[in-house]
Amino acid sequence: MSRRYVQIKICSHVTVTEEQVTQALTGSIVRTFGEVGLSRIAPKLIHFDSRNSTAVLAFAKDHAVEMQAALAFIRQMGESEVLMMPLKTSGTIKGLSSS
Amino acid sequence: MIALVEFLDLHVVPRVDDESSWKLTAEMVALSGFSLIGLTVPTGLLSSRLDALRNCFQDSGIEVFVRVDLACSKRDDLLKLLRRFRSTFDIIGVRCTNHNSALVAARDRRVDLIFFDSAARHIWFDDSIANVSNAKLELNLSALCEAPNHLILSRFMKDVTVARRHKVEVVLSSGATSPLLLRTPNQMVAIAEILGLNKQDAIDGLSAIPSSILTSNVERRSKNYVEEGVRITAGADQEA
Repeated sequence: MSRRYVQIKICSHVTVTEEQVTQALTGSIVRTFGEVGLSRIAPKLIHFDSRNSTAVLAFAKDHAVEMQAALAFIRQMGESEVLMMPLKTSGTIKGLSSS
Repeated sequence: MIALVEFLDLHVVPRVDDESSWKLTAEMVALSGFSLIGLTVPTGLLSSRLDALRNCFQDSGIEVFVRVDLACSKRDDLLKLLRRFRSTFDIIGVRCTNHNSALVAARDRRVDLIFFDSAARHIWFDDSIANVSNAKLELNLSALCEAPNHLILSRFMKDVTVARRHKVEVVLSSGATSPLLLRTPNQMVAIAEILGLNKQDAIDGLSAIPSSILTSNVERRSKNYVEEGVRITAGADQEA
């Protein structure tokens, strides 16, 4: 399965954890596209930087639209409001680091 | 990814009484990738406060246009407000609260955008409104982000279907009342695609269509404008 990678900035008033990010993402995809959608999008948290509040997610290449929408639908993590802002999408992880 | 297009969000609602939130909102708008926004302000906002608000966004490199949202249940009230505020604001949006006011707003050429409250069950964008619509239909995507559920999703999908059937142009806006309700253009296009718009229409709904609204309104407010298709040209040259 061909993958793509998206770098996201997590904007929140509180510090979020890796588990919260995974849970919020999975929850959003299941709520919007169901379990079948989740298996097709196949999201995976590749990298998480709590200090800079950034993360890198991998997902199935053919489901970029669903992935972007699922990220947009995430509003909360735990009790706090968040915004998951995609900064850059690339076909390789290396591509995300180059400007 | 979408690139090399200027994106506009015509519906950002700042907390006018909370100056500390302006800066954060401006930063988030800039980070999201919008270069131009429509700020919805109360009609009675002091001009000094409006200038301060405008400057705050312009400092972050965002061009600001001022917008007012009108909501009336009676036809005469709506027409009175349109007469009063059309020349004062860059963008006029009408929140349709009932079918009659929606018909009036859709038909009136002074209205730029009509939108529907996603929570209201008795009023929606139906064929009779779409049939007479001169205004653009605005989808405020924050309703979906605030509380995504199947009712709001299906409501928006129906709106898009009706708009496409009657060739009514759709404008995508965030409708954000807080900085964390803003979404990037990519995310908004993705949501619109899920709602049934094709990718190009979704991109146009964030760029070309709102841009054309602003261009025509700026022209309409210029001193050389007489009416649609009529401009003073010779007199303007002589004055200059």
